[in-house]
Amino acid sequence: MATAPVAPVVLIVEDDPALRTLLMRLLREEGFQPLSAAHGAEMARMLETNAVDLILLDIMLPGSNGFDLCRSIRRESDVPIVMLSARDDETDRLIGLELGADDYIGKPFSKKELIARIRAILRRTQNGVQTAQPRGHQQMTFAGWTLDPGRRELLSPDGAFVDLSGAEFDLLLAFLSSPQRVIGRERLLEMSRARFSDASDRSIDVLVSRLRRKLAVTGQAEALLRTVRGVGYIFTAAVERR
Amino acid sequence: MKPLRLWPQRLVGQVTLVLMLAVALEFIGSSILFENSRIYPNRDNQIRRAAEQLVTAEALLDVSPPDIRPSHAEEMSSHGVSLHWSALPPLINHDRATEQQMRERFQDAEPTLRGRDLRFNADIDRSLPRDTHLKVALKLRDGTWVTLKTKIRAASWAVLLSSAGSAFILGLGVIAAAALVLRNLSRPLRALAEAADKIGQGQGAQVRIAESGAGDLKLVAKAFNAMQDRIAGLLKTRTEALAAVSHDLRTPLARLRLRAGFVQDTAAREALENDVDEMAAMLNSLLAYLGGQEDPEPPRRIDLAALAMTIVDDAADAERPATFAGLEHVPVMARHLSLKRAINNLVENALHYGGNAALTLSREDRTIVLAVEDNGPGIPDDQLAQVLQPFHRLDDARARNTAGLGLGLTIVQQILQREGGSLVLKNRAQGGLRVELRLPAL
Repeated sequence: MATAPVAPVVLIVEDDPALRTLLMRLLREEGFQPLSAAHGAEMARMLETNAVDLILLDIMLPGSNGFDLCRSIRRESDVPIVMLSARDDETDRLIGLELGADDYIGKPFSKKELIARIRAILRRTQNGVQTAQPRGHQQMTFAGWTLDPGRRELLSPDGAFVDLSGAEFDLLLAFLSSPQRVIGRERLLEMSRARFSDASDRSIDVLVSRLRRKLAVTGQAEALLRTVRGVGYIFTAAVERR
Repeated sequence: MKPLRLWPQRLVGQVTLVLMLAVALEFIGSSILFENSRIYPNRDNQIRRAAEQLVTAEALLDVSPPDIRPSHAEEMSSHGVSLHWSALPPLINHDRATEQQMRERFQDAEPTLRGRDLRFNADIDRSLPRDTHLKVALKLRDGTWVTLKTKIRAASWAVLLSSAGSAFILGLGVIAAAALVLRNLSRPLRALAEAADKIGQGQGAQVRIAESGAGDLKLVAKAFNAMQDRIAGLLKTRTEALAAVSHDLRTPLARLRLRAGFVQDTAAREALENDVDEMAAMLNSLLAYLGGQEDPEPPRRIDLAALAMTIVDDAADAERPATFAGLEHVPVMARHLSLKRAINNLVENALHYGGNAALTLSREDRTIVLAVEDNGPGIPDDQLAQVLQPFHRLDDARARNTAGLGLGLTIVQQILQREGGSLVLKNRAQGGLRVELRLPAL
């Protein structure tokens, strides 16, 4: 055990004692070093005395709610935050993500799902992939389209919201972070895996063709995402950040 | 300052006032009629005058020489009363009740006639207005006779007319009163009936009725509206309680799911996890149904094609037979998450009951149609409307292995109604079900 690499420290902020205990046990079994707090004040004490790698934050807490805590943490640190919520509500998810949470899991979640998400986020932050994706509300525009990474929204040139799956969004974001440069399939796969551990089976080519179909509004799609035979793809439009 | 109110506020007051007005009208009308009837002399007057005339004629004829008596009698005749003189008795006395009555009246009017030889013959006209044809013969002192013939007009026609008239006026008055009262009564009552009929049929919207009409009806309307408020309040409390319980159930469910992860037996663990998934899905659909009314998400411009593609692609990734064809970019105004839930429900239904889901996006004039078709058994035609009812499930074998509460289509319909669209279910001629999600085009 002593030979194992330093176990990531995960702080669980959850008011339900039984669930807290379960999460502790589960994370310990999966090789994490769990800490727990029942409310905001306890969380603040924990953060002062421990170096925490990730926070699991319940939205419904007595006293100050998870959103407030998330905001106050973000003012001081970039520690990854995964929000837990009993409300399977997309509005909550959006608020959480806008406040700087890294992910959002609705209750009830399975052990597998939770561990996969935690691992994906830790891998993303430790690999430094995060640096390629600007945090916050910096909007990107290309060929009339607008992409908002904070709200995870893509708007077509006529202002319509275009629904993208998580993998499609991440893939588009990857293209936009390296516009007008050839990106290899391997690199794209790696990037989408960083976020979605279950993306391994999904062929990048399928994702690209789906993305092309959704971007096919003005007939420029083929040109936007061009295949570079044998290598990968190139995003041809210029990207502006605002 | 309240204006002086002559019109009573209560129903009883209104009815009373109207009836009083009717009675007053009747009274006035009858009085006018009776006043008119007095223009014609009444029976007693006519008899008195005839008696008077008879006595005068007797006095005159008594002192006249016999040869000029007939012409004198003739001269004394007046309109309606004729006098004759004769040497022989002109008539035989009848002594019926009518004649006796006449004799008394004559003798009352002219007491000098008492004890005289008076002969009466009174015939009552059988036809209306029942006048009396009266002949009276009086024996003069010299044994000759003077005869008076007249027609005593029955006042009965006036009585008849006035009673008919007053009945008519009373009838009119009462009808007018009834019309007034009913007009006042029926409008709010009909509104009340219509409102009561509408309650619970719409989307839970309250049916307000105007608090107008008579005071009592105003009270009824007020009570009706208040009752609705209370019902709405009760429903809201229940709904909130149900929603709160559904939310709260998620935490123990989360514990259960995590605990399932520690179960060593793989089969048991999977069964447990499936159960938890099913319960979570039920809670989700229940919350979607309950919260459908007040979704805070604002409608926005959405690419319906991209939304359908995402859902179909997700299903395809799970190796389920879902396909998408048709228009590739169709903007609609809708709430993104609601619409996604609606399409998801339809695709899930098609995959579950029909085995496949074929989505086609097309435009029919001003309507965008997203059709979800399957090759399953369809729905019996008589049940097509019922499947939209909340908690309704087709009660054949298929329903038994179905997760969920029977809210799927209800939620879809709720969502579409809110977006100004509609849901259409049809059985396809070649078998299978076709569900159309229809939204107004932009």
